[in-house]
Amino acid sequence: MNTKTKSTIVLMVVLSIGSVAFGRIKLVALPERAATVIRLDNPAATLIEEERVLTLQQGLNNVDFSWKGVSIDADSIRLQALDNPDKVTLLSVSYPPNEAALVWDISCKGDFAETVRISYLLSNIDRLITYKAVADKAETAVDLKSYLVLRNFSGEDFEQARVLLDYGEAFEQGIDHEETKQMLFLRAPKVPIRKIWTFDAAKLPWDPEKLENQNVGIPVSYRIVNDAGSKLGKFAMWGGKARIFQDDGHGSTIFLGEDVAPLVPVGEKMELYIGDSRDIVVTQRKMTDTRINLRKNNKGRVVLYDTDEVITAKIENFKDSAAALTMIQHIPGQWDMDKCNLKYVKKDANTLEFEIELPARTESGPATKELTMHYHRRNIRQ
Amino acid sequence: MKRIILMLFVVVAASSPSFAKVDLVTLPSRDTVQLTIYNSADLTLVRESRGLTLKEGANSLQFSWANTLIDPTSLGMLPKASADKIDIAELTYPPRVRNLGLWNIESGVSGKVPVEITYLTSGLSWRAFYMGTLTQNEKAMRLQGYVRVTNNSGEDYENAQTRLIVGKVHILDEIAELARRQYPYGRPGEVVPRPAAAPVERVRARGVRVLEAAVAGMPERPKEIKKEGLSEYFLYTIEGTETIPTGSAKRLLSFEVDDVPVVNLYKYEEQRYGAGVVRFLSFKNDEEHNLGDTPIPGGRLKVYRNADDRGHLSYAGQSSFKYIPVDEDVELNLGPVANVVVEPKLMDYKTENHRFDRSGDISGWDEVRKFTIEVKNTRDIGVKVEIKRNFDTPYWKLDRGGDFGDFEKVDLDTVKFTLSLTPRSAKKFEYTLRTYHGERQEDWTGARS
Repeated sequence: MNTKTKSTIVLMVVLSIGSVAFGRIKLVALPERAATVIRLDNPAATLIEEERVLTLQQGLNNVDFSWKGVSIDADSIRLQALDNPDKVTLLSVSYPPNEAALVWDISCKGDFAETVRISYLLSNIDRLITYKAVADKAETAVDLKSYLVLRNFSGEDFEQARVLLDYGEAFEQGIDHEETKQMLFLRAPKVPIRKIWTFDAAKLPWDPEKLENQNVGIPVSYRIVNDAGSKLGKFAMWGGKARIFQDDGHGSTIFLGEDVAPLVPVGEKMELYIGDSRDIVVTQRKMTDTRINLRKNNKGRVVLYDTDEVITAKIENFKDSAAALTMIQHIPGQWDMDKCNLKYVKKDANTLEFEIELPARTESGPATKELTMHYHRRNIRQ
Repeated sequence: MKRIILMLFVVVAASSPSFAKVDLVTLPSRDTVQLTIYNSADLTLVRESRGLTLKEGANSLQFSWANTLIDPTSLGMLPKASADKIDIAELTYPPRVRNLGLWNIESGVSGKVPVEITYLTSGLSWRAFYMGTLTQNEKAMRLQGYVRVTNNSGEDYENAQTRLIVGKVHILDEIAELARRQYPYGRPGEVVPRPAAAPVERVRARGVRVLEAAVAGMPERPKEIKKEGLSEYFLYTIEGTETIPTGSAKRLLSFEVDDVPVVNLYKYEEQRYGAGVVRFLSFKNDEEHNLGDTPIPGGRLKVYRNADDRGHLSYAGQSSFKYIPVDEDVELNLGPVANVVVEPKLMDYKTENHRFDRSGDISGWDEVRKFTIEVKNTRDIGVKVEIKRNFDTPYWKLDRGGDFGDFEKVDLDTVKFTLSLTPRSAKKFEYTLRTYHGERQEDWTGARS
């Protein structure tokens, strides 16, 4: 048990003669905690495994396991004999009244010291993952570092424990109650990235001219693929806060932005939104929206119609470098495209995605592309 | 006030970082410090270089930041020499101690090692503001851009290289809120509260005295601000170093351009500005306008006019403007005016082409409106006037006559007339607007323009 602070988890071997009654305890042994494992592979719960040596007597033994000030899921507690499992039998588990404790009744076929492993789910001890990435000046690759943050607010001090994640090697680490430790556990230099600008017509204002003194920022993201080509791909990357910096070319860095990375399985991509570009300007306008092909009922009332719609979008790149804008347009319901001057991919029934390559600004002004979408929505009921 | 303290404990027993075994404490001072201050968020990246005297084996380095606004989760340390022999094993936030971090460093070398410590702090901010001085004929403007850097971080940063970031950064948590947390990463299962108030407000509430300019030892010319693009941002690096004690601010000249040709633009749009005319000053952030080197960060512009030959000024108004990329047009809204007048008059109204359904009720009709628009420039300078008209329906036809200037269909129900007027002149034009209603929309064959 921990020597620095008061113990909160206590294990007692209650040696009794002839009876299990607590009033007749003759000797109490407090076995030391030996190898301890903190297993953090499940983000929802932390499993503690600790080994202790119990001095068992032939016959019935009571082992009292109690905890105070810590939150242990009582139903999760397990006991496993390691040295002589065939000679040690767990007969029953009883819970004393009004106490955070349980008593194991153990039958033993001889007098010996037995190493047992006690495991339980302990609350308020967990781990977080954070990322720090430094992009090169050209924004083609990042030096990626990932940190493991151990947080122990369980009430229990762990002087030394083997800490296990669901990947990577186990390591020895002590952590006290209310202590937080941050450790570097992944370093991946020069991970290729792709920079993406996205204009989603459903999320951003269409006409910046109608906004008073406000820029419309086009979201900018970095895309990282968790695969061998990116020098990653060995295991799923846990989700966590990612802070992204960039080499400024003067031996220093600037902070580009931060985002929450989701859990990224091997082969999947991670997209980190870093900030907004105000040097790409999209001005989208609806130029036509009328009803055509009216169909009427016997009373002359329109019951079904189509539409004739034209949307134009002017995309200007004021940057002195080229950019690839992903433009997302939405057309609800049943529709068909009459004419569209740019190529698109239909992502689903109502979503169109355009990949628009924008050259850099020239001396004569911003690089400009225009999208004109002439489409009809069909069979709309009045 | 110096609140960030760095202590180095050289641990005798390499196996344990326990304080009882510390035999030497050094306080390495900052050699250099660099501040990169953002304006879209309350955020500054601080980079300090310090020289640590390390011992071979385990070293413990204590970093404390009481009464500052540092985000403890952002702390980072990098050795700038012998990096392969120095392992920064972990950063511990000890229990029951606030504003303190402990780095455990395994060193394969002994002696002085330069390290770089970085962190994010709140409380430093900057903003851009501008002064424009129009020539008497209002055809050109002297434009002066300033930046004002304010330090309310709780820490004095002496002789700091100061850099400013123009751009919109995405952050998840307010740095000030992270700095106030009891535990740097919170507790498991804890719901992190949102920040209560903007830090700027808090600073105002404390009544911190803000000092303007007055820099000791200022050389004969103002400091230059170097500007360069990085990712989606622009980085302004102020020449030399700055000392901005906590509670103080400093104003620096960012740029000064003498002759920016400007257009006196007047706009009329009932739906947006009501019945009056709004004055704009328009120019472009490009070479032709003696600008265009870098984007112009958003800020407030105060516009003056040279009132006479003796340098007296008159105040024309002020305007806020947004971030202006290179080559983009700038339109500065100086507010409503009375000396340029736009008067639309409905001269005639009728309905016609009625349709009737089987019950004899009206099922379609046209509305025809004839407007006369009179534009008067009472000023002694030439002006450009933009008139926008909104129709509330996409089913319309427009016939126009008279001196209507340039005409443009802006979108499905908006058109724009652009006219140029010489000093003290007037123009007049007409248009007839036919709108289609009910069943008559079936006969509509497209907006004629």
